[in-house]
Amino acid sequence: MKMMKTNLMLLAIAITSIFFTGCKKEMNISDAGNLVPKTVDQDPSLSSISVNGTQLHSETFGNPDSAMVIFLHGGPGSDYRNGLSVKQLANNGYYVVFYDQRGTGLSKRHDRNSYAIQLYLDDLAAVIAHYRTSPTQKVFLFGHSWGAMVAAGYINTYPNRINGAIFAEAGGFTKKLLDEYGEASRKLKLFSEATNDILYYDQFLTGKENEHAMLDYKMALITPFAYAKGNSEGVEGPSPIWRYGAEVLQGFMKIAEDEGFDFTTNLSRYNTKVLFLYGENNKSYGLPFAQKEAGYFPNAQISKVNNTGHEMIYFKWNNVYPIVLPYLNSLK
Amino acid sequence: MKNIKLLVAIAILLCSTATDVFAQTVNWASLKKKQRHILNINTGLDYGVTYGVGYGYQLKTKLPIIINGEYSFPSGNNVVDDFKTKIGGSIRFATVNNFQFSAKIHGVFRRYENTLARLVNFGSDMSVTAGYYKKKWYVASEFGFDKAVVTHFKHSQVYKNNFPGVQDGWYEPSTGGNFYYGIQSGFSFEQHDVYLKAGRMVTQDFSTTPLFPFYLQLGYNLRIGK
Repeated sequence: MKMMKTNLMLLAIAITSIFFTGCKKEMNISDAGNLVPKTVDQDPSLSSISVNGTQLHSETFGNPDSAMVIFLHGGPGSDYRNGLSVKQLANNGYYVVFYDQRGTGLSKRHDRNSYAIQLYLDDLAAVIAHYRTSPTQKVFLFGHSWGAMVAAGYINTYPNRINGAIFAEAGGFTKKLLDEYGEASRKLKLFSEATNDILYYDQFLTGKENEHAMLDYKMALITPFAYAKGNSEGVEGPSPIWRYGAEVLQGFMKIAEDEGFDFTTNLSRYNTKVLFLYGENNKSYGLPFAQKEAGYFPNAQISKVNNTGHEMIYFKWNNVYPIVLPYLNSLK
Repeated sequence: MKNIKLLVAIAILLCSTATDVFAQTVNWASLKKKQRHILNINTGLDYGVTYGVGYGYQLKTKLPIIINGEYSFPSGNNVVDDFKTKIGGSIRFATVNNFQFSAKIHGVFRRYENTLARLVNFGSDMSVTAGYYKKKWYVASEFGFDKAVVTHFKHSQVYKNNFPGVQDGWYEPSTGGNFYYGIQSGFSFEQHDVYLKAGRMVTQDFSTTPLFPFYLQLGYNLRIGK
């Protein structure tokens, strides 16, 4: 019994030591480049631009004097890596611009409470200004999911600045529509493997606010939920991404909950024809949702992309391209 | 890093060979000295829907001490990719009339895997419980801390396709920790306990919570012995 008590004491000391002292540094999640890639401010070899008080990961393809197509990726928090097929438009006489939105992908990280919708619109304006080579150069926006929401927000705020826009399954132009889409696309099945995979890891990893590497990694780990078997958005599988911006997502979720948003108030003033795309296999979006969003514009074309879902640009670019190119050419 | 592994090894070794404290909920007032073996089954919400089993052994000590081991796993198609084991025990260290106070400490070994990564973690779980205990029933409150001390990461080709430079291996300092607090209550009859406990979790910085910040457990104990 005395031996047992001694062992109990030793055990308590050992575990208490583990609790409070930790151990010497070997690999640390917070160190750049261990579990998530370095960002442009940490790796000077990455292509970047400095605009509007931040540093954005950015690339361009095509002749800088050609009509500009700016690709706006999804999220909030994702990046443009799975949209790179759009660069094919450079072969058709367009200047294609990609950038990872502030705090996402390989762009510089910022604190959660620094994000704002107007700031994102200002970033977009700054990117356009950075790459535009003449005042007469036409500018088209090509937004996917959240990126399509940003495109709508920009046109709603500045109806005279853009020469055309493509909306690939915008998640909702208003808070009400966003909630509607969210409820339809993010159903949790409590007993499923996919659901438990996004809940169970919280006992392994916790991160404080603005502990970016940890939070971005956690975000990355739950992405298989989006393409789990039977997902309602018709996502075929994993698509490439550099790095999630977890605090961007948290920041904009808080903004949506606290302040709401409405990107539709001026869309009726935008008379240029716009293009809406929806994936045949996305049960949460479909023609009815596309019609709701397109209804805010006076002149909209709605096109179905066959045999794909929400990630149509990555998985079925060959079906998207024949729809997008004639639209752009009609406005060029 | 070697130091932490040594400490963890010592902890696990001691847990598995000697005294410890108990994690499953127990009615201290109805537990008899000669009831040496306690079998447990449980289900609930513990970072997802989980199912668990446990075994406890009551030592021949002046103060009631129970050493135990537990195994639990979350629901899903694959029931072997994620699990949690605990080895440790509990001690009731004070009584004041029908009020009883106990503490528990466990070494934790757990595993998580999805299509992107496999995480293996050594951790600790410590808590204190204070409650009002009668032979037939009890109600108590608990407060504890579950710390993920050191974690090994191994990534799949799917993750490496996105980030070829990812570094597999042991990561420290602590990769996480959650406080939890809640209430527990149960009924006891003959050799049986049926209990329910529920509470809330908050991360160690007190400003954020797990995605599902609650826990719930419905359990059953069979006390073997007279």
